[in-house]
Amino acid sequence: MSGAPLLTLEQVEVTYHRVIIAVQGVTLKVERGQIVALLGTNGAGKTTTLRAISGFLGLDDARVTAGTVIYRGEHIENHPPHEITTRGIVLVPERDKVFPNLSVAENLVANVPRVAPGAAARRLVDVAYEFFPKLAELRDREAGYLSGGERQMLAIGAAIACGPELLLVDELSLGLAPLAVQDLARRLQEIRDRLGITILLVEQNAPVALGIADWGYIMENGRVVLDGDAARLGDHQDIREFYLGQSAGERRSYRQVKQYRRSRRWYG
Amino acid sequence: MQLAVNILVLASIYALIGCGYVLIYRTSRVLNLAHGELMMVAAYLLLTTASLFSGHPLTAFVASALLGLVVGVAVYVVLMRKMTGERVLAAVLATVALGILLRGIVVLIWSAQQQYPGQALGWPNPALELPGGGRISVAAATLVLTTAAVYASLFAFLRYTRWGIRMRAAGQNPLLAAQRGIRLHGVYALAWGLSTFTGGLAGRLIALDSGLEQTMVVIGLKALPAALVGGLDSLVGAIVGALIVAGAEVLLIHYVNPLLADVVPFLVLIAMLMVRPWGLFGTREELDRV
Amino acid sequence: MPFASGYFRTTYARDIRLVDTRTQVASLAVFVALLAAFPFFASAFLLDLANQFFLASIGAVALMLLTGYAGQVSLGHAGLLAAGAFTVGILVKEVNAPFWVTVPAAAAVGALLGVVFGLPSLRLRGLYLAVSTLALYFVVAYVGSEYETQRGFSTGIVVDPPAIGTFPVDDPRVWYFVLFAAAAATVVLCLNLLRARSGRAWRAIRDHETVAEALGINVPAYKLAAFVISSALTAVAGALFADYRGFVSVEAFSLFLSIQYVAMVIIGGMGSILGAVLGAAFVTLFPYAIEALIASLPTPERYANLVFAVNYAAFGLVMVLFLLFEPEGLVGIWRRVRDWFLLWPFRRRPLSGTK
Repeated sequence: MSGAPLLTLEQVEVTYHRVIIAVQGVTLKVERGQIVALLGTNGAGKTTTLRAISGFLGLDDARVTAGTVIYRGEHIENHPPHEITTRGIVLVPERDKVFPNLSVAENLVANVPRVAPGAAARRLVDVAYEFFPKLAELRDREAGYLSGGERQMLAIGAAIACGPELLLVDELSLGLAPLAVQDLARRLQEIRDRLGITILLVEQNAPVALGIADWGYIMENGRVVLDGDAARLGDHQDIREFYLGQSAGERRSYRQVKQYRRSRRWYG
Repeated sequence: MQLAVNILVLASIYALIGCGYVLIYRTSRVLNLAHGELMMVAAYLLLTTASLFSGHPLTAFVASALLGLVVGVAVYVVLMRKMTGERVLAAVLATVALGILLRGIVVLIWSAQQQYPGQALGWPNPALELPGGGRISVAAATLVLTTAAVYASLFAFLRYTRWGIRMRAAGQNPLLAAQRGIRLHGVYALAWGLSTFTGGLAGRLIALDSGLEQTMVVIGLKALPAALVGGLDSLVGAIVGALIVAGAEVLLIHYVNPLLADVVPFLVLIAMLMVRPWGLFGTREELDRV
Repeated sequence: MPFASGYFRTTYARDIRLVDTRTQVASLAVFVALLAAFPFFASAFLLDLANQFFLASIGAVALMLLTGYAGQVSLGHAGLLAAGAFTVGILVKEVNAPFWVTVPAAAAVGALLGVVFGLPSLRLRGLYLAVSTLALYFVVAYVGSEYETQRGFSTGIVVDPPAIGTFPVDDPRVWYFVLFAAAAATVVLCLNLLRARSGRAWRAIRDHETVAEALGINVPAYKLAAFVISSALTAVAGALFADYRGFVSVEAFSLFLSIQYVAMVIIGGMGSILGAVLGAAFVTLFPYAIEALIASLPTPERYANLVFAVNYAAFGLVMVLFLLFEPEGLVGIWRRVRDWFLLWPFRRRPLSGTK
């Protein structure tokens, strides 16, 4: 993947209600055509980072108060969500990811796509149906009545129907059965391969994420603590212990766990 | 027969005003308590355009209708826009404040006396005889037809056009809508413009029929129960609610006590709230929204 | 709440004390002393103004209980005031009831209205209570005007000043202390409600009703309780209003009055008793300020008949400005100033201590 990165975050700081810092100095980059995983436990700041990229709506009184978010060479921090979508970044949110009282078909057109209205926009909807044939069967069903897996498919399909360049996926696997998760992960890879869409994937389920990602970042307490090639990350001792659940079998004491939090084993 | 005519006319009034409440509520979850005042402003604008275009009543009417649309959009852009993202309660309170402000401004600009736009336009508003022995004025008949036309267009718009779907989407989940590229401010401005436009039509036709003064605001408030009884996010509901409330009001005034006029819609409302709070056609999820 | 150093909260009772530090006790004493001395130095006009302020603050605090804490909006406040006033008027005219009967009767009427109009909203959230209260207003207004027409009081009911024992309460200075006591009692009552279980339940309901229910809080009961207590207090305010003014009529209780009370809550700042009181002061003084402003213009007579319109417009404008620029009201301004001092030299509080 040559050329400048598609997306760069440089020391981004996000503050809620003017006094609470949720993300403290996050630096990461996403190259074109990659699948990048952003891992971490609850409260690490992953979703906030995604929303720093995709734009807040002021609903949470949150702002990017320091650092830069640069997409294709332009600053996009603190821009409103609809503008960022029309630039080519589309978010598949963690919750409330579909319009519950609209049908599946209506969900797929409830957007402002990046292409001209008319034939090109309809083509995008067809692409969404190609990737998720199940949606075509459920075309007239109200989205609120879909199952969790179907809803996730609809959410990703609707995101594709916007014609994005960069897809942000928040918690792909949340609330889904393992087989469904694997299936969706495979489809994300297909989306990258066939549509050329770059993907930034936030996940708590590290094995799934590292399985399809090219590069990974680990976040804790609002900071990136580790990053690297996904394969090497999967071999890293700390990752294996704390995120993949594969410790060497011996029990670690609380003291040793605290030790981990103090030492930072950075990749060069 | 005359009773039936009265019910039909009153129901049309409530329905035409009510669809304004529904439009804004459905799109942005805000209850626009200044709707009555905005309607009044739009009607007073007819006076101004009548004197500007004296001799061309139709032009005056159309001009004031367009001005009404502009006023609605302007209200959104100047005031309500800043409320996006705040709690819905704050937005509703903002509309209350706006209403008070508009009442004061109307009196300051046009004085508190009763006005007659019909005279200003030079139009006598004749009465028509109906088969069956009822009478209806031309203004009232126009109102009934206008209501029907407005509702038909709104149904088509919301169900079949992209912009209509966007409006419905924004009403269900504003953040998600923004994340799909929909400009919320554009959608809301459209809703406010359409709402003031339709409300203004009602206001003007009422003014042409029976004169114009400050108490028009009360009619706007009485249409709120009609919209609520039907379900605040349903256009079909607004029609049905309007018929029910108008029917109750006309019948009770005729057979029981004329002073009941202002109270009846609210009595119907209380009854409905106790039995089926989300209205006849409202989505039940509304309860969990705010 | 900012603490002074050296005050450790080791018991629950200590934690919820209303007045904790020595400074707070001292300031409260000074404040009360000043208020008690006021009527002996003030003119009749200022005295009347102060009485109006106390009356308004009872209603404002009651509304704040409902709006700021239970998160419900009420547009029928004028209806509740009218109900209390009419109860007094009717009781005095029909059966010549004394003070200590009419006021509790007004409270009872208010509570009853609260139950009747609050019940439908129990299953609902958000804006439906606002609409219910609007209905309350119209119903009360209708009943009031029906009574006036039926009994021939077309211009209103004249109420004799009440008597405590044989001592008639008609001197404004005596009224000052009566109303001060009533307002203080209301504030203390609400503060106590708020620092007890009821207050925590209301906060939980306001923040996230579904979670509150899941935690075992009887949400409908608490919502109804908030509305009933608020209504009873407001009706008492209306009763006192009737006794103070000596006159009850439907026209005095307009929708605009409801909106004025809502404005008190907005301008003062929601979710705070202090806010309600500050808001009440602001709104009470506002018309007089406008009058003074108009009087200072070169030819005031020209605007004489426009005064009420200017009042409406200016009032609406001020409300709008507060909603746009100071959504947390006067209390919000105070908190920002306080935060700035407390956190200095830092500007922000970090999320967790990771270093």
